[in-house]
Amino acid sequence: MTRVGKGFVFRASNAGPLDALLVFAIVAAAVVSAFPLVWMILSSFKTPAESMQVPPVWIPATPTFDAYGEVASVINAGRSFWNSAVIATTTTLGILVTSLMAGYAFAKYRFKGRDLLFAAVIATMFLPPIVTLIPLYRLVGTMGLNASLAGVIVPNLANAFGIFLMRQFIAGVPDDLIDAARVDGASELRIVFAVVAPAVAPAIAALTLFAFVYHWNTYLWPLTVLQGNTDNYPIVLSLSRLLSYNRGAMNTGLVMAGAAMAVLPPLTMFVLLQRFFVDSIVSSGVKG
Amino acid sequence: MTRSTRTSALVMLTPAVSLVGVFIFLPMLLTIWLSFQAWSTQTGFGAAQFVGLQNYADLLSPLSVGRDFRQASWNTAVYTLLSVVVILPLSVLLGLMVHQNRVAGGHVLRTILFSTYMVPMIAVALVWSKLYSPNEGPLNQILGWFGVGRQMWLSSPDTALVSVVILNVWQQVGYFTVLVIAGLTQIPVALYEAARIDGANPVQSFFGVTLPLLRRTLLFSAVIAVINAVQVFEPVALITQGGPANSTNVLTYYIRRVGIERAQGGLGSAMAVMLMLALIVVIVALFAFARQGEHEK
Repeated sequence: MTRVGKGFVFRASNAGPLDALLVFAIVAAAVVSAFPLVWMILSSFKTPAESMQVPPVWIPATPTFDAYGEVASVINAGRSFWNSAVIATTTTLGILVTSLMAGYAFAKYRFKGRDLLFAAVIATMFLPPIVTLIPLYRLVGTMGLNASLAGVIVPNLANAFGIFLMRQFIAGVPDDLIDAARVDGASELRIVFAVVAPAVAPAIAALTLFAFVYHWNTYLWPLTVLQGNTDNYPIVLSLSRLLSYNRGAMNTGLVMAGAAMAVLPPLTMFVLLQRFFVDSIVSSGVKG
Repeated sequence: MTRSTRTSALVMLTPAVSLVGVFIFLPMLLTIWLSFQAWSTQTGFGAAQFVGLQNYADLLSPLSVGRDFRQASWNTAVYTLLSVVVILPLSVLLGLMVHQNRVAGGHVLRTILFSTYMVPMIAVALVWSKLYSPNEGPLNQILGWFGVGRQMWLSSPDTALVSVVILNVWQQVGYFTVLVIAGLTQIPVALYEAARIDGANPVQSFFGVTLPLLRRTLLFSAVIAVINAVQVFEPVALITQGGPANSTNVLTYYIRRVGIERAQGGLGSAMAVMLMLALIVVIVALFAFARQGEHEK
């Protein structure tokens, strides 16, 4: 991808009307895309009176952090954040381990039925979670995991996307590297985690981001399996309680503050790892 | 294949394959089996009683559950179609805007677009429900500046579903834009050079070079967009509860409502099977459509 030096826009000599239109379109797209989040932040600093004003107030006159404090008291935000962190981190670690191992086997071993098994696993990528939700709910209940964090985590410790991503990247790791480690007497498990994993570090970064963000944000399964046990609610579930806490325009600041708090971790993760994210889509998403 | 590779393959595959087997394949088979049973979700699987095609018959009957199911199926189809039809062209347009190198700003735009994809859907739903607010929301105010009248957005059966489509497009388009960018980077620059030498203008080279070579990307995008669209849940569960007048009742919401909240597991499973079949048909049709286009070339 070509990088354009900063200041190119202002070199008016060879900039035609098409360039001006292009700049306008880019700015417009960026503004439309950023607007809801900017509005969210601005509204979180408004007083309840400002939130109810017609026509709407854009910039709060005296920004207040009150809404953030109120969120913390209404939904036990600390506990919710902790639950989200436990769910997202544990699930991500599990996915990394299972995906690395299975991706390695699918990429580097030859065994009977390999391609069929791989196809069957990949097919589950196209299965929306609602299709399996009802029996899964019962199944996890039978295991005694309903209403617990384990119930949220355990069914998600492996997924097709991770296995697919890892297989794509590990296929590109030279066999010589693996054979050399075998000659040195390394076990296969050691090879996966000490030789192959470092060689596919960008893919691991990408999968970490995908998995963490997905499981931080996911709503349907925790809502179903936790059965209203609010002590174990992750932040996304607790947010929904803000809406019913005080219906109407009164709670706008509160809801916006809560949303802003929930958005922060995945967005931070994205800013830190976005380079790998895009690269992994480029090299795995389409070629596959 | 040596014995030791077989053992190693087993060790490597067991964690992932058993998890996917127990928590995805087994429930999928159970869904199909349960769709032929009368079964309360509150009881064990052993309590299920075979009823043949009764659940399916109920879904096609004039009973209220049948009417609501058909409405939810229709809403889901409309929602999915609208999402795909808006997202695909928009992602190509935005992808071209990011990928071009005439003016700066593409990379910043990509970051902003993609960052919305990181936002939890629940936060998207909450924020947009306030943006849409007919009185104190900013969207009606902005439209007012351009002389557009007051819209009811999520509060009117005529506009509620479209309003949910808009917030969904806003959240997801960045992901599809990155897919398009990925596709664009794989088009050899030489092809554009050749088109230019042949006297093609930018519009002609877009339709002659870019679009045909993006076919696989767009097929992949379309499949993912369909699968994402049928999963819409949070805005409906939280903001509209399927209303007003059933206009935003979509399948993910309705299946959960019947199968989990009302504990009618057999009936909910029959709906899930119908959804699964519909998805298979749509995805196969998309692949067939893309392949047919390839032959015509």
